[in-house]
Amino acid sequence: MGGYGDVKLLRDDGKRLDGRAIDEMRAVTIEAGVLPAADGSAMVTHGLNVAVAAVYGPMEAHPRKIQRQDRAVIDVRYNMAPFSTGDRIRPGFNRRSREISKVTAEALESVVLVERYPRSKIRVEIEILAAEAGTRCAGITAASVALADAGIPMRDMIVGVASGKIEDTVVLDLDKAEDNYGQADLPVGILPNTGEIAFLQMDGDLSIDEYNLAMEYNFKAAKEIHEVMADALKRRYERGDA
Amino acid sequence: MMVELVPSLLRQEINRLSAEDQRLDGRGQFDGRNVQLEVDCLYNAEGSAKVVWGDTIVFAGVKFEIRTPWPDRPTQGSLMCGAELRPVAHRKYEPGPPSPESIELGRVVDRGIRESGCIDMEELCIVPGEKVWGVMIDIHVLSDGGNIFDAAGLAAIAALRTSIVPAERFDVGEDHTLKVNGTPIMASFKRAGGRFVYDPSEEEELGGDERIHITLGDEGHLHSLQKGLKGVFTPSEFAEILEVAETKCTELRKMVAEKERN
Repeated sequence: MGGYGDVKLLRDDGKRLDGRAIDEMRAVTIEAGVLPAADGSAMVTHGLNVAVAAVYGPMEAHPRKIQRQDRAVIDVRYNMAPFSTGDRIRPGFNRRSREISKVTAEALESVVLVERYPRSKIRVEIEILAAEAGTRCAGITAASVALADAGIPMRDMIVGVASGKIEDTVVLDLDKAEDNYGQADLPVGILPNTGEIAFLQMDGDLSIDEYNLAMEYNFKAAKEIHEVMADALKRRYERGDA
Repeated sequence: MMVELVPSLLRQEINRLSAEDQRLDGRGQFDGRNVQLEVDCLYNAEGSAKVVWGDTIVFAGVKFEIRTPWPDRPTQGSLMCGAELRPVAHRKYEPGPPSPESIELGRVVDRGIRESGCIDMEELCIVPGEKVWGVMIDIHVLSDGGNIFDAAGLAAIAALRTSIVPAERFDVGEDHTLKVNGTPIMASFKRAGGRFVYDPSEEEELGGDERIHITLGDEGHLHSLQKGLKGVFTPSEFAEILEVAETKCTELRKMVAEKERN
């Protein structure tokens, strides 16, 4: 987290700077099947964030040393476009994107029925086109929808959501200013049907009670986003050009 | 890039159709696919454009930075256009350092814009010898359904022409629109079935030979030419496609102007 309490993030009426209530999420829209070249794809807008995910495979895993005899490997690349942030970022991997790619892959491996595809590879490409706090969550949501669009069997979807703390108040879904000047951020990946958690990160300072409240907000938001995800997939199959 | 196995059946089929003046997707020799252009579509980019060109999808984003001018050109800013063919765009693209293909794409688009003179480098000067603007156009290919060159060129110039110079953020004056004096447009041709076709599809790129990219300015002057891949062509073949390019570029230039007005 950036600064601590030196920037005012809550208004006198108890609302946040962008007018949201403390347990209110930014608007989320999802479209499935947006990239013709991919086997499955999705575009997620979450507030001002834009995340696109493409899925290729299952395909032959090469080089052979990455193959697993009993399951598929999931190869995730999370990447921010050079123009996605305030200052241009140099193209290519950095430590942050490598870490996010790794934990996202492990989260997806927890829901994809990887044992159905031994010795193969499933490629998941997450591209962030516009970033305004919460890109890893938007990326996980997009990846889940793209995997479903590719027809890859999963135990459940994963919904990416985050809560955090600003001015000693727990709030749902931090925006850019809240992320920069807030006190804590708790991004999670929730399985909406089983209520399990496949992705968890946190930084900042939260009491146990604050953690519990933040998680409560996350589960509430996951339910809402899951409906948008399901709706996107239904529209995709009604369209029928898959 | 993964080695593409060129299916000889595809090549045969393209040849057979070509002899009957037909193409795989039913288009005429010089027909283009449907093109949709959207501008100002990405938060954080100072100029942005999305081009959906058949099955090809390309985004371009413009960012500005303040830099020290080169000692021999103290009053000139700079322009750079780069492209990324990331693995998201097609199963044939693999992760790693920029491939020769993505470098070629970025440089061909860069030359067309730079050499058209649509950006006056002197206009990018803030304090001579100290501060100038560096303008960076990044091309991001999300879906390669063939002819990414034309889609990238269109996205780049549309993003550039709708850019706002973020002077306030850098504390060097008020935000203002970037002055762009012209709309260079690219038209690409591919030899498929022995003849050149406009706007090759993914299959035609796979089962064809050399490609030629032509960038024309507002006055119809040439600003960038590139021949790629194995193959040779005759001056009369070039004269024919140049004439087609003039028409195609004029149409697309109108499309950009329309988007700017809205």
